[in-house]
Amino acid sequence: MAEDNREPLAGASALREALRALLPPTKEELVPELGAKVEPGVARLLREAAELFCGGRRSECLQASEAVLDYSWEKLNTGPWQDVHKDWRRVYAFGCLLKATCLCDEPGNAPAVAEALRVCDMGLLMGAAIHGDVLLKVAAVLQAHLRSGKRPGAAQEQPSTKKARNTGVSVPDVASERPVPRLRCPSLQQFRKQFLAPGRPVILEGVVDQWPCMTKWSLEYLQEIAGCRTVPVEVGSRYTDEDWSQTLMTVNEFISKYLRDESSDVGYLAQHQLFDQVIGRKYIRLYSPQESEALYPHETHLLHNTSQVDVENPDLERFPRFAEAPFLSCVLSPGEVLFIPVRYWHYVRALDLSFSVSFWWS
Amino acid sequence: MAEERRGSWFGFGFCGFGQALGSGRGRQVHSPEPLATPGPGADVCRVSASWSYTAVVTRGGQLQLSGAAGGAAGGCRDAWASEALLLVLRAGPAVGPGPELQAWAPDSALRGEPLWTHTLVPEAGQEDAAGGKPQARALPLLPGARAYVSPRPPFYRPLAPELRARRLELGGEHALLLDEAGQVFSWGQGRHGQLGHGTLEATPEPRLLEALQGLPMAEVAAGGWHSVCVSETGDIYVWGWNESGQLALPARSLAEDGKTVAREAGRPHEGDSNMRRTVGSEDGAPAPFIAIQPFPALLDLPQGAEAAQASCGSRHTAVVTRTGELYTWGWGKYGQLGHQDTTSLDRPRRVEYFVDKRLRVRAVSCGLWNTYVYAVEKQESGQPQPRV
Repeated sequence: MAEDNREPLAGASALREALRALLPPTKEELVPELGAKVEPGVARLLREAAELFCGGRRSECLQASEAVLDYSWEKLNTGPWQDVHKDWRRVYAFGCLLKATCLCDEPGNAPAVAEALRVCDMGLLMGAAIHGDVLLKVAAVLQAHLRSGKRPGAAQEQPSTKKARNTGVSVPDVASERPVPRLRCPSLQQFRKQFLAPGRPVILEGVVDQWPCMTKWSLEYLQEIAGCRTVPVEVGSRYTDEDWSQTLMTVNEFISKYLRDESSDVGYLAQHQLFDQVIGRKYIRLYSPQESEALYPHETHLLHNTSQVDVENPDLERFPRFAEAPFLSCVLSPGEVLFIPVRYWHYVRALDLSFSVSFWWS
Repeated sequence: MAEERRGSWFGFGFCGFGQALGSGRGRQVHSPEPLATPGPGADVCRVSASWSYTAVVTRGGQLQLSGAAGGAAGGCRDAWASEALLLVLRAGPAVGPGPELQAWAPDSALRGEPLWTHTLVPEAGQEDAAGGKPQARALPLLPGARAYVSPRPPFYRPLAPELRARRLELGGEHALLLDEAGQVFSWGQGRHGQLGHGTLEATPEPRLLEALQGLPMAEVAAGGWHSVCVSETGDIYVWGWNESGQLALPARSLAEDGKTVAREAGRPHEGDSNMRRTVGSEDGAPAPFIAIQPFPALLDLPQGAEAAQASCGSRHTAVVTRTGELYTWGWGKYGQLGHQDTTSLDRPRRVEYFVDKRLRVRAVSCGLWNTYVYAVEKQESGQPQPRV
């Protein structure tokens, strides 16, 4: 990929200034108290990295930060994720901050800046907030710098000429199933009283009509604004497939690998609780938590919130009760938002090339 | 045990805290270097390396720390280093109370008082403090094999009396026990398959590895999230996490980085006839990547070499063969594989340094990101040494 060095010097110092302005000036402020969980050895190394950074010793700081990152990464992979102590996630975030900023000391070097952005994303995905979410701010600065320098080079074709991968998708007969209720622009009280509090699913229509994304979003736009950002991607049709895996890649990589190429894998960006359908349609089935036994969840701790049943082709000999389990279903179209109450079982199948935006909250 | 000429220790890998590792220059050593020993004529019989410091114990009972933790002490039989705690076994007097187990904060420099002590029952007719096999009945297993010591509270952990433990190894979040009959037990977290029972479930108490039942094992080793054992016939079994190729099974991360096979310009390697690219096999189908191996898999070394001993770092593995060669594989970013580079490997590769220097490797002890090796000069007769 050829580098576009249109304004190397002006851009370079502007980036360095912008980044320095985001960081605390002294090493004591840069790496404050780390917490009791953090062992003296790594705490010492992280402080040393901060000192090297403030002293302008970039390559030594990179080395020290790298070791801090690798060590804290091991802590992040020890024990269940929810039990990982926030102190370690902060250490990881500090390591990412120092490494990303050091990589940008050569701002004319676009691959280094892209790598710095990747490092920020890793800190955002796995670390904990530090210095008032400084990683978000650094990422924004880096992204702006990359966008001004060159366009992402991944996709050249127009989506209309490239056949979207659509291998004989069958549309279920939704009319014969119990529908998820629909509401047009309800008031917040109505939503809270009738659906949020009692935990009932509902499709909200008309709430995102004013949303810019409905007219703007296309694959090109996605790539332009977020192409170089790193996201978690689940590969494989089902959690229970032997070759299911989760991996990290940039949005550019995701689009070129799974949406444009003839990859036989299926990939999707992990989705959450408030389903905002933007492009394409999705068939969704919802089962109440009360029906959990009829859904035969896996017994292992790891998969205890995944059903063993193939929803649209159930083995009723092995899972007889599944046939009687009541459910609600819908085809969610662009502009519609589905509220999925907590612990509700949900089955999703895309009917077209599909994109949604989702929000978790508690 | 046959008397043999004294060997010496070598080290390679991460030394970012200046821990004893050859010259100690820079933060990493990529090829084996002789270890700077505590003093002239000092005879190191035990090396225990944590991430930021290393503890060595000499036959004379001298304990020496280097790296982020410093200090020295005498009268020590054994030591076990971890980031949270340094565990030291002090020899007891000839008559009276038995050996004392001490837990020190690593940055205490062994001055002042330990955080915690526990006096063990005096041993009747056990092997003496200075002699005995360097690896047998080592910490974290306590003398008497009634209990073991953990770097996390509770520090003193009794073992069920029916478990006649010969060796006990602690991994990142699991434990392996080898009993007198050669059976292997495992317990702890299992999410990376490191327990070897075929599931990803945690197991709170020692559970027999049924897959290895009837195959007497001679050695066990535990890494960050993987396990290795060596049978009495020299076979190697591996299980657990393979994300950096530490099980010598095809690893996706190495293929994607294009670094599956480590290569040095202009230097052919022995054993490369079975060099394996994860991209293709004979029929052109891609070899499947293995991220987690939840039950033991048999591993072949090149040329059918038989294993004598194994040790694991957080994400790498090292094996000593009966003929005195050292093979390493797994995560190599800090030079801990000793192949003069920082490439990770998902297949065993011999450390050529010892072959070139005509040294016979006798033992290996891995820290989290580094590797320590004990080797002697080769005898001219060319007879393989009896296994220690």
